Amino acid sequence: MKLGIPKGLLYYKYYPFIDSFLEELQVDFITSQDTNKEILDLGVKNAIDDACLPIKIFHGHVASLKDKCDAILVPRFMSTAKGEYICPKFCGLPEMISNSIPGLPRLIVEPIYGLDQKQLYNFANKMAKKMELDNHRIKKAFMTALSKQREFNMKKLIPNNKYKIALVGHPYNIFDKYMNMDIINKLNKINISAVTEDYVEESNINEEIKDLFKKPFWYFARNSYGFASYVSKNKLVDGIIYISSFACGIDSIVIELIKDKVKDIPVLVLKIDEQTGEAGFDTRIEAFTDMLERRCS
Amino acid sequence: MTLELKRLLTCLREGAVKMRITIPHLGNADFAAKSLFDDLGIEYIVPKVSNKEALELGTKYAPEDICLPYKIMLGNIIMGFKAGADTALITGSCGPCRYGEYCELFKNTFKKLGYDVKLIVADYPKDIGVKELMQRMGNISSASDRNIEQKLYAVYNALKVIKLIDYIETRARYLAGYEVKKGEFKKLIYDCKNSAYNCENGIQMIKVLNEYKRKLGHIKVDMNKNPISIAIIGEIYTILEPFANLYIEDKLIDFGVSVKKGINPSWWVKDAVLAPFKANSLHIRLASREYLSHYVGGHGRECIGEALIAQQQGLDGAIQIFPLGCMPEIVAKSILPNISKDKDFPIMSLVVDEMTGEAGFSTRIEAFVDLLERRKEQNVLYRS
Repeated sequence: MKLGIPKGLLYYKYYPFIDSFLEELQVDFITSQDTNKEILDLGVKNAIDDACLPIKIFHGHVASLKDKCDAILVPRFMSTAKGEYICPKFCGLPEMISNSIPGLPRLIVEPIYGLDQKQLYNFANKMAKKMELDNHRIKKAFMTALSKQREFNMKKLIPNNKYKIALVGHPYNIFDKYMNMDIINKLNKINISAVTEDYVEESNINEEIKDLFKKPFWYFARNSYGFASYVSKNKLVDGIIYISSFACGIDSIVIELIKDKVKDIPVLVLKIDEQTGEAGFDTRIEAFTDMLERRCS
Repeated sequence: MTLELKRLLTCLREGAVKMRITIPHLGNADFAAKSLFDDLGIEYIVPKVSNKEALELGTKYAPEDICLPYKIMLGNIIMGFKAGADTALITGSCGPCRYGEYCELFKNTFKKLGYDVKLIVADYPKDIGVKELMQRMGNISSASDRNIEQKLYAVYNALKVIKLIDYIETRARYLAGYEVKKGEFKKLIYDCKNSAYNCENGIQMIKVLNEYKRKLGHIKVDMNKNPISIAIIGEIYTILEPFANLYIEDKLIDFGVSVKKGINPSWWVKDAVLAPFKANSLHIRLASREYLSHYVGGHGRECIGEALIAQQQGLDGAIQIFPLGCMPEIVAKSILPNISKDKDFPIMSLVVDEMTGEAGFSTRIEAFVDLLERRKEQNVLYRS
């Protein structure tokens, strides 16, 4: 059996885990290509028009895989911890996929209820069982995959360029180079380093969200808010760029909270959707960096 | 010492923590709130019926991308504050839908606008715990000078009010398709709401509502008629608050359509109470299992379930209404076309936001009703 892995959404954050888990179990799998024009077009064609850009692109990845494999893995992210969710669309993603794209092969759907070891093992175990894999190899493969993921998650040191900008947003918006027009490289070229939430410790993020009235029940909201608040409080960056997909329900609230919290450094909100033009995008980044230079000198 | 304590106690009892409470509108839930506050003896201010002014106020101070319910609710509360209220009571949730984060934004907005006000959030007990909920409710309860027995009685009456008014409205809107003299049921609903609004306490309101419940049986209906029946499904706020859906139910009644809506405030109360025991809305869960087996937050699963229930009950079609960008309903919307195809059951999705024009909205409803009419005629002529 050939398994297809769509390279969209949280694949960008958890690919070491899923790749090495499947490799350890000697599963024959292919990943879809990096996001490109073709995949975007497929996604826009298949997904419903109200969906946001990352969801559309995920549809595109699945559609591009459908003739190349016998089964496609579509995880259902129910929650990341108790009382902490991602987004309703993640919970209903398998249904969205199976109802929007015709002629799909078998979908391997398994809910994930948490990101701790126990819940992840449950997920991995059930997923492997659905693929009819050997029972006794699963545990070993899982442990190897988990350690790979932990290695990947290790916090890196903040690079030392002249100016630093915090890139805030959902991981798939930040790491999908096609979707955000390769913003990290663009910034690096003009000698600005991009700091993402991977550079900040989890405990610092948790400390920051304590001054909210209600603990955010979204994983990304908690990370984005905590990260933005932490870097601005400790003067780690000179500016913040928030990359948000158009009509994102979570961002509509988080951006507002961040703008309220962050007072003394500038915040730029970049909205992306399937019609975003690169020229306009560049102009806004240039204007922002020019402003930073004038402000900091 | 004892004297001081005594004075403090009397002070408390007489409502030293005086508050003037306001609530955003949510369809018929207004009546329950009115009866509750009347019985508790708490001063309250009901903002004007949701209108253009409230929406404009809300849009002005709301974040750009947020959904319509937030804008209308914010407008309602601000209008309440302008009329002199100092506390707002809203319901909350801790699901993945953004409704749960409203309170956070409300707090920030009021601070920015300079309103020195308090916000009480009534979350589900399963999310914040019964203790925390009791503490929050205690804030309201302490403003009342009634004893515990009267307070419980007030809550009981409020629940009764909501149940009655939901029954009357649901029944009237369903029977409206069968009425002999056009417009009688619509008039009854509005008369009923008006006279309920003018009541002074819960008991009086229940009496009035019971009277209208009786009147409901006296309106002449022709059960041999075979009207078009449409189910209203979708996001709970937009289907409950008539202003948010541009009075779609009234429009449908005017066309002689019999309207059915499974979700109303009394359903919500029942659902919230039964949720900790996982015994809530079993029929919806059973119906939706085939197409959506997990809760996706908001009322996405209920939307699917209601659509399938409507199909099983032999209704002619369903209209889904949701605010622009509503995440759970987008999931539902991507599933509905398949249900429609599989079950041969027309479903139309309507998206509302502050820019929705009345004319375009009406045209789509008319077209949908026309379609159902023709389908029905065809059934009689060719298929039987």
